[in-house]
Amino acid sequence: MSSTKTSRIGEETRVDKVNAELVTLTYGTIVAQLCQDYDSNYQDVNKQLDKMGYNIGMRLIEDFLAKSGVGRCANFRETADMIAKVGFKIFLNVTPTVTNWTSDNTQFSLIFEDNPLADFVELPDDGRAQDELWFSNILCGVLRGSLEMVQMQIEAHFVSDVLRGDDTTEMRVSLVRYIEDEMPPEEE
Amino acid sequence: MPDNTRGVFSLIIINKAGGLIYQREFQSGLRNLSTNDYLVLAGTFHGVHAITRSITPKIPISQPAPSPATSSTGITAPAASGYSYPNPGVPVSGLDYLETDKFRMTCFQTLTGTKFLLFTDPLTGSVDTIIQKIYELYADYVMKNPFYQIEMPVRCEAFDRHLGAWLRGRT
Amino acid sequence: MAAPPRHATMQSISNGGIAPGTDRPQTQQTQAQLSQQSPGLRVPSNRKTIYDRHLNRSRNAELSRASFAFLFGEMVTYAQRRVTGIQDLEKRLNEQGYPLGLRLLDLLFYRSTSTSSSALSSSSTSSSPPNRPLRIITLLHLIHGPLWRLLFGRAADALEHSVSPDTPNEYMITDNDPMVNTYISAPRDMSMLNCAAYVAGIIEGVCDGCGFETKVSAHNQPTELWPSRTVFLVRFGDPVMEREKVLERAGVK
Repeated sequence: MSSTKTSRIGEETRVDKVNAELVTLTYGTIVAQLCQDYDSNYQDVNKQLDKMGYNIGMRLIEDFLAKSGVGRCANFRETADMIAKVGFKIFLNVTPTVTNWTSDNTQFSLIFEDNPLADFVELPDDGRAQDELWFSNILCGVLRGSLEMVQMQIEAHFVSDVLRGDDTTEMRVSLVRYIEDEMPPEEE
Repeated sequence: MPDNTRGVFSLIIINKAGGLIYQREFQSGLRNLSTNDYLVLAGTFHGVHAITRSITPKIPISQPAPSPATSSTGITAPAASGYSYPNPGVPVSGLDYLETDKFRMTCFQTLTGTKFLLFTDPLTGSVDTIIQKIYELYADYVMKNPFYQIEMPVRCEAFDRHLGAWLRGRT
Repeated sequence: MAAPPRHATMQSISNGGIAPGTDRPQTQQTQAQLSQQSPGLRVPSNRKTIYDRHLNRSRNAELSRASFAFLFGEMVTYAQRRVTGIQDLEKRLNEQGYPLGLRLLDLLFYRSTSTSSSALSSSSTSSSPPNRPLRIITLLHLIHGPLWRLLFGRAADALEHSVSPDTPNEYMITDNDPMVNTYISAPRDMSMLNCAAYVAGIIEGVCDGCGFETKVSAHNQPTELWPSRTVFLVRFGDPVMEREKVLERAGVK
């Protein structure tokens, strides 16, 4: 599928809206609650956020498919385009840049110019949060969960975040493998 | 209120593993199968669907071309070398519909592997549109319900309500 | 020391509220070591921090309702794993909404007074002090109208005072179709549950932030037309009711 066509699907998919601040504040209160529940052990918070994202991803993929009407991607490059231009566009109204591909086309980065989840956020000034907490880590889980449901095992993690004082917010996504169907096309 | 559910008999949803997770009639007085029969029907259809996928004829090709999945990723996707489906660009689907003089059963399988089976009158039109709408309602009122557990039977009051209301109001 | 006032523990992480007072003694050692090397927060080299971005930037911004539904649903699922019953679950959802109320209150005041250029000098305290509600009715109108519009794009459907002489401190705000419950069907054995307890927490935060000690709870009051109709029961504390009488006599509006 051509890249412009993908963008058009992202633009044209009808999306029911709510106030953006309600979404941002709701995500904020989730992260804050986790920090409290895990005694500010940020590694555990990151893990829990990823897990929550995974749970969301497994459900969100159906919404993505039902509302956008897109079909299966032919390859991982197309998948990356679909994530950035349709997925993020529909669900967060942003279009991260897909870049830094490895030569075997199994790894890429998403660079976020804007991130509504982190709007108006400042990490706790405790000397640790900026080194340990990935505030938007839920997004990694969402990608992992949704792609697993369409037979792709991936790994995703943030490598930088403006909330940590970095100049960009970047997520690294790697294809681990395609998960075979319950009935492999290859007969015995 | 005009009853537009006429022509749509019933709906079955089958999970990835072939388990029946939803069954509903849209007309009163339809003769019901027993719960067990529905479970068997779901499981059987799931198997038949998989078989129809696997028996899709493959034609030999002279020079083995890499499958779309391997061409740019470098990771070996399950693919035949030396054989190809008649139209390699279109993914293999299983059984799409069954039809008799009295009814038509349309199967829509999502990319995640969930199957929606809609039983309609053979003369009922725009079945694809109906199924698409059902999928959207499922994405809304089942997938976004935190009390629904994935792959488990669907017991969501809001889904039942919106599904019924939409089918009745359909023109 | 007695427990600090509820809102005192809800600060930092600007939009959510990690409690700075919850640092446990056992973690203080490592913190002290680390904080020696990194005093204060690092900022990107373009220095674009939250303080450089206008607070009204997101005023009319919208996001997908699905994203809200998935986040809220996961909040409910997570809360459910850590509680024993429906009341406990509602209490937790209430607590998650509370810090939003405190923040939204400030945002409402800020926006109701800063439509002109005064936004640029928001640090000056004198110019035009925001109109904080002093009386119960003014506060409830703020919730029923502006707060509801900010959150849900429309006013709430009804605002009523308890008719019982025994409970003059009880008020009811009705929402015929709470947005937060749109996609939620509680299982039969939890039919009493109303996840709009989250919104009840937001209301509580707004009231508390205004100096009105309150308990707010969400109750299912379905009708045939509105199956998820919800009544938010607002119960003001005794000190609030006493103050109300004094203000009434003094003719304060």
